[in-house]
Parts: sequence; structure tokens; C-alpha cells
Amino acid sequence: MKPNLLDVDNVSKTFAGRGLFSRRMKRAVRNVSFSLDADRPEVFTIIGESGSGKSTLASMILNTARPTGGSIRFEGRDLAHIRSRRDRVAFMSRVQAIFQNPFDAFNPLKPVDRYLYTAAEVFSGCRTKEARETRVDDALHKVGLSLAEVSGRFPHEMSGGQLQRIAIARALVSSPSLIVADEPVSMIDASLRMTVINLFRMLRDDLGVSIIYITHDLATAYYISDRLIIMQTGEVVEAGDARQVLAAPRHPYSIRLREAVLSVDGAWRGTGLDAEAIQPSLR
Amino acid sequence: MNTLKVLRDLFYYNKEFATGLLLVLIVVAVAASSFFSPYPPLDVYVVPPDLPPSWQHPFGTTSRGQDVFWQLTFAIRNTLLFGIVVAVISRVISLCVGLVSGYRGGWVDRVLMSLNDTFVVIPLFPILVLFYFIMRDQMTWGLLALIVALLGWAYDARLIRSIAMSLRTREFTRQAVFSGMGTGRIVWQEHLPFVLPIVFSTTLNNINWSIGIEVTLSVLGFTDINTPTIGGMIYWANQHTALVSGIWWWVAFPIALVVLLFIGLFLLAISMNEYIDPRSRLSRLGGQA
Amino acid sequence: MTLLHPAAASAAAEDDAAIPLLSVDRLKAYYRLKLFGIDREVRAVDDVTFAIGRNEIYGLAGESSSGKSTLIKTIAGAIRPPLAVETGSVCFNFSDGTRDIYRLTPRELGEIRWKRLSYIMQGSMSVLNPVRRIRHSFTDFALPHVPEKGAAFAERIGRHLERLHLERSVLDAYPHELSGGMRQRVAIALATVCGPEFIIADEPTTALDVIVQKGVLAMLRGIQRELGSSVLFVTHDMAVHANLTDRLGIMYAGRLVEEGRTRDLFRQPLHPYTRHLISSLPQIGDDTPKKGLEGSPPNLAAPLSGCRFHPRCPLAIDICRREAPPMVAVAPGRRVACHVVTASPDAVAPAMEEVRP
Ligand SMILES: Nc1ncnc2c1ncn2[C@@H]1O[C@H](COP(=O)(O)OP(=O)(O)OP(=O)(O)O)[C@@H](O)[C@H]1O
Ligand SMILES: Nc1ncnc2c1ncn2[C@@H]1O[C@H](COP(=O)(O)OP(=O)(O)O)[C@@H](O)[C@H]1O
Ligand code: SF4
Ligand SMILES: [Mg+2]
Ligand SMILES: [Mg+2]
Repeated sequence: MKPNLLDVDNVSKTFAGRGLFSRRMKRAVRNVSFSLDADRPEVFTIIGESGSGKSTLASMILNTARPTGGSIRFEGRDLAHIRSRRDRVAFMSRVQAIFQNPFDAFNPLKPVDRYLYTAAEVFSGCRTKEARETRVDDALHKVGLSLAEVSGRFPHEMSGGQLQRIAIARALVSSPSLIVADEPVSMIDASLRMTVINLFRMLRDDLGVSIIYITHDLATAYYISDRLIIMQTGEVVEAGDARQVLAAPRHPYSIRLREAVLSVDGAWRGTGLDAEAIQPSLR
Repeated sequence: MNTLKVLRDLFYYNKEFATGLLLVLIVVAVAASSFFSPYPPLDVYVVPPDLPPSWQHPFGTTSRGQDVFWQLTFAIRNTLLFGIVVAVISRVISLCVGLVSGYRGGWVDRVLMSLNDTFVVIPLFPILVLFYFIMRDQMTWGLLALIVALLGWAYDARLIRSIAMSLRTREFTRQAVFSGMGTGRIVWQEHLPFVLPIVFSTTLNNINWSIGIEVTLSVLGFTDINTPTIGGMIYWANQHTALVSGIWWWVAFPIALVVLLFIGLFLLAISMNEYIDPRSRLSRLGGQA
Repeated sequence: MTLLHPAAASAAAEDDAAIPLLSVDRLKAYYRLKLFGIDREVRAVDDVTFAIGRNEIYGLAGESSSGKSTLIKTIAGAIRPPLAVETGSVCFNFSDGTRDIYRLTPRELGEIRWKRLSYIMQGSMSVLNPVRRIRHSFTDFALPHVPEKGAAFAERIGRHLERLHLERSVLDAYPHELSGGMRQRVAIALATVCGPEFIIADEPTTALDVIVQKGVLAMLRGIQRELGSSVLFVTHDMAVHANLTDRLGIMYAGRLVEEGRTRDLFRQPLHPYTRHLISSLPQIGDDTPKKGLEGSPPNLAAPLSGCRFHPRCPLAIDICRREAPPMVAVAPGRRVACHVVTASPDAVAPAMEEVRP
């Protein structure tokens, strides 16, 4: 039987408390499990308030942090066995990352295309300049850009949406089968947001890439995800089909999240701020 | 081309920079004129001794029968070169240690920083004097430069490390990692440009610092006194009790020149500091405000 | 029709229409860069005119780098090079007299800050000194502006914090010990403790998650009602505008392109850019495909001729490339800057149908 694309198996992460006297342990992620099917690419969403452990979980999946409990397997292989640089490169060519702030995602002192070229060289073994250029141009075309538009330009010359698309193209250079996107649209505004979100949909449908989409924006989660988990203080409190969960959440925390979403329709129906002028639940 | 424009603007809009540059250029001109000296630097009694400044000998002559001006040109050249060599060597060390330590973190950081701390607490002067007593005649100018450089990198390495640590948490570093760049590329291509301006300004301060050390050591006679340096000149003047016998020009001109150099480098360093900050802000401009 | 936002805006519009609290007139503010080899003029605010009445929340929306923060800076009088005001005026009509912000000496400006005019910034950490307890931030900013001193002052702050559902013990905390939401509420407490008439808020909730965001917004609204102040609220989150603001202005490339009552604007967006902003908003339960805006955002360092939206505008006609559309009142309290809309509002109506939920 073909192994799953990704198995997250009872994973926990505990940070040792900072400081000399506060020896408290911080349990950022507690016993999280889920898996992604290799044959069915999907957008898998992780929702939760800030500090609920989303980024910590993401960095464990990306193998930039080690779990303190449980294990993560990618295509059947335990990430704990990836040690040499060669293994890491092989892993990164299959699992890629997209980050939160497009304005900080590229070195402001360097042209943006160098990341694309490096990725083509390291991950796809393109030795010649021509091979690299074709590879990079291909990846850029997938996100609706071209090498001519990007070549030699610096980050400050590009808009947030363009930068985020370049970042996605950069992740696509190595033809990965999984992309982990940690709050990829929370720093960009509404008009650019949908461009990026639609791109994720295209990646899933046309390129067969699975996407782990981390966010606290429930509306975009509803718009693109297939399945989701909701996290609170490191634990999964609700999991299931995205539309079902968001339409009718069961866990009290999910219900609170769902109710806190401000919507345009809600404003006219009076479910907005006036319904509960002062919230009792503020910590 | 762009660098030239930057320098031009700095020159026009920044008085400190203009003054500092002028002072340093004067000192460099004096050092450069050593190549046209009519007298070899080490020869003594080539002119009548103890003459006060005059048309023929603008800075006077020494009790050892040397022309103060021409002697000074050699002295400042060696002193300046000493400062530059020390600064370059120590900068290379502090860059390597600071960038790698800040980027890698973990045990690499712990090892490098404990090394760093050792060098910070080593008492500088006793060590240098100790070296002099061990090496004696082998204590050449070059060896001294190497030793001072080895003792002078630690503080800046810490500064560079702290910048590298904050660069490590920036998203573009993670982008670089996921583009397949290794430690070497990330440190030298991604992070180095961010610390260079600061390194440049600390270089100027470091030149000042090492010249200060060299002058002090030579005045006390703890160096190779046969290479003409500013400190060496003052050493010989003291040996001949120049001030007591009223030969003030033997001491005053070297001191004046080295003070000019100090002030010049200091002004350049502070104007560079002013420049570093808005520059980085300007380069971010056009992106997110 | 029952107004869900108790009629602050309409009341303001009727009674005080003649003397709005803030009037901004043909304001132009550019970043002038002639330094270190870079020569550049960024027209971040280019000919903006609008007014804010008493006791209303005015929202400002627009994409990143459309000049929202710059407009706010110039209104607050925080103009430092390279930012420079080219032309125009900003006039406040406070209860104790009218003031033209650019005619004030720095001292007079300092006097109205906090007391009459306060500012909640994008990222509150920048106001709160990281190495001083919250208590000290209050004494630094508020003490000079209130009559109470000593114990009475502490009592006033304590009561104010309780009003904002913060415990008095936060006064003894350092900023880093508070959660993001608490810090933002402390920033709001700080900005409102002197009972200012005008509050400026620049993206005060953008970095917060939904639950905390809702609490902070409710609080801001509550305190605004209580004090009867006016708020200028900036964010690019349209759902927040729909829920919070009374009137809304849309900025594009340094210009105001549409303005009206928030409700009307959402019900019947006129400008093509506004229409896009509203129609592209994803909502839970709404399965229609949404599209992002094609084309690249405007470059304020080299502004286009004519309407700055024309390369991305689906309705663009010939004149749009040549002439900049003026801001025209199309209905009471409703202004829009678009050639097509002002010429034949009827032609726009069918296009608007598809937008409506
Ligand atoms: N200090 C500055 N010097 C030069 N240009 C600046 C400066 N600050 C902002 N700008 C430019 O002015 C324009 C408007 O910036 P502003 O901060 O007002 O945008 P904004 O609408 O608040 O965006 P955001 O939603 O990202 O906060 C941008 O093009 C920006 O690059
Ligand atoms: N390096 C670290 N050391 C200590 N605590 C950490 C570290 N990284 C994250 N945490 C803590 O773990 C929790 C989860 O953080 P994070 O995964 O970043 O949350 P999210 O991405 O959901 O906002 C937070 O309470 C955070 O403070
Ligand atoms: S003026 Fe023309 S280009 Fe501008 S928004 Fe109206 S129709 Fe579009
Ligand atoms: Mg996070
Ligand atoms: Mg802003």
C-alpha cells in the first residue's frame, strides 16, 4: 500500500520555560494527529487564535523544529531520520513553505530572482543558466508572472501581491507535493488576498499540490479548504470537513470563534458589535 | 556610480563628514609624501640637529639630526598602515565569528561566544607588554599588528552577532533556507550586506583604537623602536629630554598630526552612523510603510 | 427603518453639518526624497477633501500604500521630513475654539495632543515603552493633561481601566507581559483617558485574531459612545468597517475615490474600485467564486495621468486616461470620483446588481 503523504502522529512540543526562576514548561502543541492522503490533494486548514500553536506545528512539519513527543512521517519516512544536508535538500524539494509577510520575505538588498535561481540549482539540479531560466520561467508562469517581469527587480519595486506570488513560484520551482503556508494572507489587503487564495485553489486542482493553510481568518478558510482542524492552546478541539465545521461548529471554542467573525451581512442583521457591546470573554 | 553620488551628497549635506574627510585626506597626503623624502628614514645626523622650524626645515630638526617633517611622513605612514592592518584583520575575524555564531545559534554559538568572552576579559596592556618581554627582538611591527588584531575583534563580534540573530528571525532568511541555500551562502550573501555599514563605521573607530595602543606602547618603548612611527618619534624625543631642552617641535608636530587623524576618523565614523540609519530606511521605501 | 448604528452620523450630519469637528481641505502631502543619490517624490496624499462630524466613527479603507497612514499623520500634525505638506489645510473645531493644525506652534500642538486629539497607532508596542511599567506610560502621557494629581489621578486611571474591562493590576505590568489584545486595550485606554474629542486609530486590530479583535472593537465603540468623541478609523478589513463605522471613505493611490454612509456604500457601491472591494470579500456560507484585482497597484512615485484606477478598471473609457475625475456629490452625503458613474449612474446599476448579496 502506498504510504500517506503526511502523517502527523500524536505530536507534542514543549518549550522549556524562559528565565532563571520561571521553570514553567510551555506546552505549545499537545497530541496533535492528522494525515494527508497521497492520492487526493487537498487544502488542509489549521485555524486557531494567536499563540494556539499553529506556527509551532508548522515548523515541526517543515522539519525546522523537532517534536518533543510523537512523530511526523512524510511519505512514510520519519522526519527524525533526516540529518544530512543531502536528506534535508531532498526533503525540502518535496515540502515547501510560504511565509506570512510578503514585504519581509525577500532580502531588501538583493533582487528577488536569486531565490528562484538558487532553488532551481539546488533542488532541480539545473546546472546551466539556460536550464535554470526555463525552470524559473515555468514556475513563474504557473502564478501568472513571467521571468521578464521579475528578472533583476528588487522587493521594494514589487507590490505585496506580486511578492507573495513570487514566493509561491519560488516554492513551486522544485515541484513539491506539499506546501505549508503560515498565515500567507494576513498581512495583505482584501484586493490582493483573493488573488493569492485563488492561486492555492489552482495549485490543488491543476498541479495536485496539497496545501496546509494556517490562518485565523475563517472566511478565507471556508472559501478554499477541504478539511480543517481548530486548535486552542495547543490542542485540536474540532476537526472535520471544512464547510460542515464552519457552518455548524460543535465545540464551545469553535462556536465562539465562529461568532466572533465580523461579516458584512451580520452588520446589517445586528450580529456585529452591538449585539454584545462589551465582550465578557476578554482575557 | 551610486556610491559616488552618495559620497557627494554626504559631502555637501553633512558637515562632520566633510570636515572628517578633509582631515583624513591631509594626514594621508602627509603620509604619501614620504615617498618623496630626500632622507632615508633610518639615517641619523643627515641635517644639523636641534634647529627650530624654519623655511628650510618647516617642522625643525631633531637632536638626532633628522628633519622632523620628513621623519613625520614616514612615522604617520607606518602608524596609519598599522591601524588599517589591525582593523582589517580584526574585522575579518569578528565578521566570521559574529555572523556564524548569530546565524547558527545552539552549540556553535555557545562555543564561539565563550571564546569571545575570553578575549573580552583578557587585560590588553599586560598581555602586550608580556609579549614584548617574551619576544624582545623578534617583536616586529607586523607581529604586533597581528597580536593587537587578535585582541581587538571580540567586542564587535558580539555586536555583529546580535544583528545576525535578529536577521535570522526575519522571514527572508527562512525563504533563503527553503530556497536551498546553505549556511555559507546565507551568511555571506544574505546577512553580510546588512552588517557592512556598521562594520565600516566600527573599522574607523578600530583604527583609532589600535593607533592609540601603538602610540602608547611605543612611547613606553615596548615596541620595535627602529621602525619610525608616531609613538617611536615621541619615544626618541623623550630619550633626548626634548621638552626639557626646549625642542618642543620634536614632540608637538607628531602629536598634532595624530590628533588630526583621530578627530578626522572620529568624525567620519559618526557621520557614517548617521548615514547608515536613513539609508536602510530609504531602501525599504516603496514597499510597506 | 431602524438604524443599527444609533444615528450618530445622521444626527451629526443634520445638526453640525455647518461646523464639522474636522475639516480637511484639498490636502496634498508628499514624501520628498533628495538624499544620498535618490531623487524621488512620492505623492502619498494627493488632493484630499473631507470632513468628520461630532460623535461619529469615520472609516478609511484602501489597499496597502494607498496613503492612509500618511493622511493620518498629516491630520495629526505629525509631519517630519521627508514628509511635507504641499497645499491644503486641516482644521479642528474643538469645543474651546477652532484650530488650523499647520498654524500651531509645536507647544500648542503638544497641548491639544492627548487632551483633544489622540492617536492609537498601528502596533501599540511603539507607544508603550518596553522597559517601563504601564503605570509610567500613563503618568508620562496623561498626567499633564488632567486636573487630578496624585491619588486622585491614580483613581481616575483605575476607574478608566475598569471601564475598559482591564484589571488595575495591569498598571504594574511591563508591556511584554500582556497579550496582544490586552496591549491594544491598554493603548486604547491611554488614548481615551483624557476624554479626547477626536481619536485617530490606525489599524489597531489588524494583527489580532478574530475573538480578540471583536472585543477590542466593541470596547472602542463603547468608549466612543460614552465620551461622545469622533473617531477616524483606518483599516483595510471591509468587514470591520461594515460593523464599526458610520461613514466610510475609500482611498486609492493617494486620493479619496468614494465617500458615503457605510451602509449605503455597502448596499450600493458606485466607484468600480469600491465595488471590487466589496464583491471580493469572502464570507462563510457564500460559495460564489471571488476574484482578486487584476493588474498592479499604482506607483505613487510616478502617478498616472487621468484616473489612477484606469489600468485596472473594467469600465474605463477614453476620458479616464486623460482627465482625473473630480469628486462629485451624487446624493446628499455621497461623493464619488469617477467619470462613468457621474455621467450616467444608470449605466452602472446593472453592474451593481451582481454585487449585491
Ligand atoms: N517615511 C516615508 N518616506 C517616503 N515614502 C514613504 C514614507 N512613508 C510612507 N511612504 C510612502 O507613501 C505611500 C503611502 O504610505 P502609507 O503608509 O500612507 O500607506 P497605508 O495606506 O497606510 O498602507 P498600509 O495599509 O500598508 O498601512 C507609500 O507608497 C509609501 O511607500
Ligand atoms: N521558541 C519558543 N520558546 C518558547 N515559547 C515559544 C516559542 N515559540 C512559540 N512559543 C510559544 O508557544 C505557543 C504557540 O506559539 P505559536 O505556534 O507561534 O502560535 P500561533 O502560530 O498559533 O500564533 C505560544 O504561547 C508561544 O509563546
Ligand atoms: S474614472 Fe474611469 S477609470 Fe476611473 S474608476 Fe471611473 S470608469 Fe474607471
Ligand atoms: Mg503564528
Ligand atoms: Mg498604514
